[in-house]
Amino acid sequence: MTGKGKSRWADSAEDAALEAQLKKEKEEKKRLKAEKARKAEAEKKKREAEAAAVAQRQRQQQQQQQQTGNDDDANGPPAKRRRLSPDRDAAAAPTASSNDSSKLLRFEGGRFGKCRSVENYDKLNDIEEGAYGWVARAREIETGKVVALKRLKIDPKDRSGLPVTGLREIQILKDCSHRNIVKLKEVVVGDDTSKIENIFIVLEFLEHDLKSILEDMPEPFLASEVKTLLLQLCSGIAYLHSHYILHRDLKTSNLLLNNRGQLKIADFGMARYVPDPPPPKLTQLVVTLWYRAPELLLGAARYGPEIDMWSVGCIFGELLTREPLLQGKNEVDELTKIFELCGLPTDESWPGFRRLPNARSLRLPSSSSSSSSSSKPPSTGALIRAKFPLLTAAGVSLLASLLSLNPSRRPTASEMLEHEYFRQDPKPKQEAMFPTFPSKAGQEKRRRRETPNAPQRGQKVQDLGQVDFSSLGGIFGSGREREERGGGFSLRMV
Amino acid sequence: MSHMVNPLATPEQLYQRRSFSALPTELQDAIFFSTQCLTQAAGLLLQLPQSVTAQANVLLARYWLVEPMMSHEFSDISAASVYLIAKLSPYPRSPRDLALVYSYLLSPSSTFFHPSSAPASDDSQPPPPPPPTNIPNDYYLPEHVYNSFHTRLLRCESRILYALSFDTHVSLPHPLAITYLQALDFLNTSKSTISKRTLAYLNTALLSPQMLYLTSQPNALAVAAIYNAAKDVGAKMPECEWWEVFDVDREELGFLVVGMRSVDGWGRKMREDVERMKAGTEGGSKRGGMITRRDIEGELRRRGISLGNGNNDGGNTGVGSEEPVDMEAEMARRMDEKMAEIEGSAS
Repeated sequence: MTGKGKSRWADSAEDAALEAQLKKEKEEKKRLKAEKARKAEAEKKKREAEAAAVAQRQRQQQQQQQQTGNDDDANGPPAKRRRLSPDRDAAAAPTASSNDSSKLLRFEGGRFGKCRSVENYDKLNDIEEGAYGWVARAREIETGKVVALKRLKIDPKDRSGLPVTGLREIQILKDCSHRNIVKLKEVVVGDDTSKIENIFIVLEFLEHDLKSILEDMPEPFLASEVKTLLLQLCSGIAYLHSHYILHRDLKTSNLLLNNRGQLKIADFGMARYVPDPPPPKLTQLVVTLWYRAPELLLGAARYGPEIDMWSVGCIFGELLTREPLLQGKNEVDELTKIFELCGLPTDESWPGFRRLPNARSLRLPSSSSSSSSSSKPPSTGALIRAKFPLLTAAGVSLLASLLSLNPSRRPTASEMLEHEYFRQDPKPKQEAMFPTFPSKAGQEKRRRRETPNAPQRGQKVQDLGQVDFSSLGGIFGSGREREERGGGFSLRMV
Repeated sequence: MSHMVNPLATPEQLYQRRSFSALPTELQDAIFFSTQCLTQAAGLLLQLPQSVTAQANVLLARYWLVEPMMSHEFSDISAASVYLIAKLSPYPRSPRDLALVYSYLLSPSSTFFHPSSAPASDDSQPPPPPPPTNIPNDYYLPEHVYNSFHTRLLRCESRILYALSFDTHVSLPHPLAITYLQALDFLNTSKSTISKRTLAYLNTALLSPQMLYLTSQPNALAVAAIYNAAKDVGAKMPECEWWEVFDVDREELGFLVVGMRSVDGWGRKMREDVERMKAGTEGGSKRGGMITRRDIEGELRRRGISLGNGNNDGGNTGVGSEEPVDMEAEMARRMDEKMAEIEGSAS
């Protein structure tokens, strides 16, 4: 250890501090002047000092194995703190050896600098032109790597500047590093940099999105494949939630899949950082209608990661049947479909739901009447079992818990990863063993799909108005016709 | 992890600023200091929490390492960085809020950088002039002035984003410092005294022309601020090399300790410089305390230094005129370095 004998710095730091305190104005001025002169030749000295310190620096670089990016030395990050005053540098060099004894973590935060031009990429073909703008497949000229270019939609008439959703998306993707989250490589701009109008996000390219695979596959995914997909989705979401990020637009068309069976979450246009506990006023206009949690439909302004877990439940159902689980035509219809599948909320199953803004206009069968009627309303699990007869008991319990009306009953992403469903046979299939599909994004334009889009920012929040659910109580008739068709003959087990 | 680290300036960027910019270093420092002060003042008037304003300070400092200072009006860049960070935070502010606040701060009615508001540094100085009289007409904002401010604001916003590759991530050392203080049991002194002093050092360091926030990671800044605060309040620090617990080595700590302590003296001197420059420019005192590009140009003329093009239009031409030189010199420098390295490893 470095003992008192070597603690020259402590003394000198103290001295310097004292000195600085005592310094009067004039001395300060003199010092500044001297420093100015010194700095003029300092840079020259710095280079000499650097050359001399190269050997030592290399030694130090070896010492910090935590860092990954020591690729190139001339351009690479300096091993130690940035040195602005080279004379100090030279003086400090001998003391630096005293650090060899203690291993300090070095944090590598990267650097900052200008955007590159989009001209570094060759456009190959359009992938999609959706509500969020335009996505194309492109090749980086320098490396030949294929990427996805997503153009940030900018309304020139919008006088609030660059859209905050786009900026959030960029920032969140930059902050994220997980194998199940799509990687942002860089942001590039059009060639005319006098006004920044053409902004492109460069993302890693994946061949498919889950939605088009589901639409085109003749047979549904095998149980083992569903598990693999869900596990990947869930570990990505667990990462997001542990970093206080809500995705707020999870749906199959935002889940990408490559030909190696790897799933990645994409499209963070709705995502944002949300502290725990959540702030009191978040917009309810999030998540595409078919994947929107009941508390959002009921107008909750304070919500958390549970809304993503609801979407996971919807995706789970969709993976099993190849069709979106809850295809409501509008907010009221969506809520009706939810209650058909999950049962009506009661004060016991979801305490406090009546206090949500839109719940007041719902007419639900009063709890007294439903309890008096001999047939208790079936539990969510029973309804789901009826709809998915091929799902194992563990699968039903997982799906039912994800689709709990009461957000606090839904499992968190990390709890879900531990669920028994994933440990039962059939075991999740290895990613490498996944079947491959013809890539539409790679070759041809995709057909437009009829999924509703995620709500637009600034859109008016829909008032549910007076809705009568009293006829639904205990009957659930209309849900029956959508039950599993032709079940029982699925011998395609692994 | 991303919440604990910042992207740092490369040695090349720091070197470039010192050697290639057309502005003398002390003028750059004066601009830097007064613009950062302006940003802080605007943050206060906009009722933004310091966590937001401080991020804007850091963003602004980064921007000026990438683009020349004279390419936009200093107050516009300051407003744009506040606007951008506030927009991404839970406390967005409208362009009109910013226009009002900045037009007030830049008016002669505001006390910003007014001689009377300077802290008394010396007893021998004459008594400060009276505070400015408040003339609301000074900062009345006609619609066309607002519109042109708004346009400049948006242009600067996208310029900043372009220059920083859309990376607006800033980690502040403030929360870390409090956590470290808790770990140190507040050095057995009054919690609020030492915490306030520590945060004061961190906030002052934002104004430092040494750009401490761009050269050190938050953990180092936090430790140095605690060290300084402990010295100030006379708290007893652990005997051992406690900074190593927080992954800061003695060399970096010493550098930051001195750097943070010197801001006060620098700041006073720079305020004097700014006031002198304002007084030297015609009508300078009639335009409020903030230094403008016009003041800098006047100062340069007095010194007989001429700026190339790129200083008197709204600006992008400044970039073009400087870059080729930079690139060539950079290339030469890198080759020198490589050679030195090869020789070093050969011997």
